Amino acid sequence: MNHLDGVALTVVVVSFLIVTCIGFAAARWRPAEDPMHLNEWGLGGRGFGTFVSWFLLGGDIYTAYTFIAVPALVYAVGAAGFYALSYTIMVWPIVFVFAPRLWSVARARGYVSPGEFVRGRHGSQGLGLAVAATGILATMPYIALQLVGIESVLTVLGVGGSSGNVFVRDLPLILAFAVVSAYTYLAGLRAPALIAFVKDSLIYVTVIVAILVIPARIGGWGHIFGVASAHLSSVNPATGKPYGNLVVLPAGQWAYATLALGSALALFVYPHAATGVLAAKRRDVIRRNAAMLPAYTLVLGLIALFGYMARAVPAVNEGVKAGHGNAQLSVPLLFSSMFPSWFAGVADAAIIIGALVPAAVMSIAAANLFTRTIYKELFRPYASPAEETRVARLASLLMKVGALGFALELNKTFSINLQLLGGIWILQTFPAVVIGLYTRWFHRAALILGWAAGMAYGTVEAYQTSGGGQAHFGGSAAPVFGHTTYIAITALIVNLAVSAVMTVVFRRFGLQDGYDETRRADYTADAEPAPAAVAPAAGGTRTPRTPDPLGRR
Amino acid sequence: MVRHARSATSPVVKAAVAVLLGVAIIGALWVPIYAHTEPKLGAFPFFYWYQLILVPVTAILCWISYLLLRTKPARQHRRAPQAAGRDREGMWR
Repeated sequence: MNHLDGVALTVVVVSFLIVTCIGFAAARWRPAEDPMHLNEWGLGGRGFGTFVSWFLLGGDIYTAYTFIAVPALVYAVGAAGFYALSYTIMVWPIVFVFAPRLWSVARARGYVSPGEFVRGRHGSQGLGLAVAATGILATMPYIALQLVGIESVLTVLGVGGSSGNVFVRDLPLILAFAVVSAYTYLAGLRAPALIAFVKDSLIYVTVIVAILVIPARIGGWGHIFGVASAHLSSVNPATGKPYGNLVVLPAGQWAYATLALGSALALFVYPHAATGVLAAKRRDVIRRNAAMLPAYTLVLGLIALFGYMARAVPAVNEGVKAGHGNAQLSVPLLFSSMFPSWFAGVADAAIIIGALVPAAVMSIAAANLFTRTIYKELFRPYASPAEETRVARLASLLMKVGALGFALELNKTFSINLQLLGGIWILQTFPAVVIGLYTRWFHRAALILGWAAGMAYGTVEAYQTSGGGQAHFGGSAAPVFGHTTYIAITALIVNLAVSAVMTVVFRRFGLQDGYDETRRADYTADAEPAPAAVAPAAGGTRTPRTPDPLGRR
Repeated sequence: MVRHARSATSPVVKAAVAVLLGVAIIGALWVPIYAHTEPKLGAFPFFYWYQLILVPVTAILCWISYLLLRTKPARQHRRAPQAAGRDREGMWR
């Protein structure tokens, strides 16, 4: 399977070069008077309307998780992998409810990350730090998942993979990542926002063509489900149990539901999702997008079905076996065995670019968190906007290096576990961020203790879970009271319980509350609709934008 | 600069939105509703076509909720001066 496909590889390389040009050109897209400001580098000028936001959020939230990890899981275990569809269905009503409030308070107070909101809302530097550190920690395995996705495409293309030397093997991946880091460094969020147009177009074209062409070529959906059912009910020699099921059995339903719910709640507190949301121009943009982004959920559902299609193609099964049972090769192998070379190249490019866009946004989001909540808060309270931007740029580079470490260290058999591991951690910031949007009932110190309890419990449980051939961090669901449950949910319950109990205790002892710098009206604030000729007040360094002669935005 | 939308959403509208979005979430969360093979739609077991159809349904429910909650743009008050120190945003269009 490692023969080099010249035509497909050429298409991929050309696409990558085009995207690279777009990435660098993005620095000049919607130019700001003062690009050295975190609102510009980190949030693209906070001026994206419904249309751009749709592409950016879609490109940001549907990642290699969607294109590689989910179909790989479906390929291997069947219906259980469809929890991702359930997750991306319920995530939009959840975003619809919470995100406009976060957007408003961030706009009113100039926050660029959830960490700053938590610090300001609860009047607690420690809690802000906890949220920022968790965001950075949880984002790393998620970026690593993007790397694993790119790697699996490259392997099928015959690039790398064949050498025993780690450096040579991963060279194309490192090279691609270095290029992305360069234009992210230069253009900030504008780069992934502009590239998202290419990504989303390629993905939609690929999925529509695949759904129209592949089932007809391999004998129709009846055959696809038939083969999948036969495989899933056969016994896995490694475990002595069937591989999986075509429909989730009652025993697996609790895990299915908690994985979906936990992932959906976690998504909104992930820094990269918050970055995409905060970059919107108006409050309405978010709600409209919550109603329009399910188009991408449909794409996720169809891509998940690729897992079954791949099972019905003997060449794919052989390829996966030759790749040491790496199910993540199934989708790229499906493309290479079902499409002519040039279109397989287009589809592979879709996946690679599809992984690069979220990787860029994630590193920017983590950089924003680091700069405003850690660097500025702890080391340089009076850092100028230009200094903030310089620090954020460097931090985005460091994030990518850290993610490489994650990608090389952890098990890749089911890269989906990287995302689930991140979810366990990030969900522990839910009480401080999301509940904080509504109430300050929880005491700030209690929230820190709850967070610490949730993090400790979640990490220990995940560490003790074996699976995929490794003893630790092998899975993300563990039995609780006889039900297999996504650890993130159990840890969140521990977190909430500790927070609530300690709140009562601290209030009883009269421990002082933090100062809330936000005001009630901040949570429903919206942008000024007309161009107002008001210069920013003290502390602001931006001058008003010059009107765009083309009348864009 | 920010403006504050008039918070005139009636409790009835809020309840309606809660029901609409609740239906979407419960529809995906309550796995026993759809963890069946029958009835099939073509070759698709119920489990698959139910979830795929729930996607556009959720989109429509969110859109209706958006229309219900949409507020008329209202210019009310400018930011309080003491908050201006943190406002590094300038103007927004």
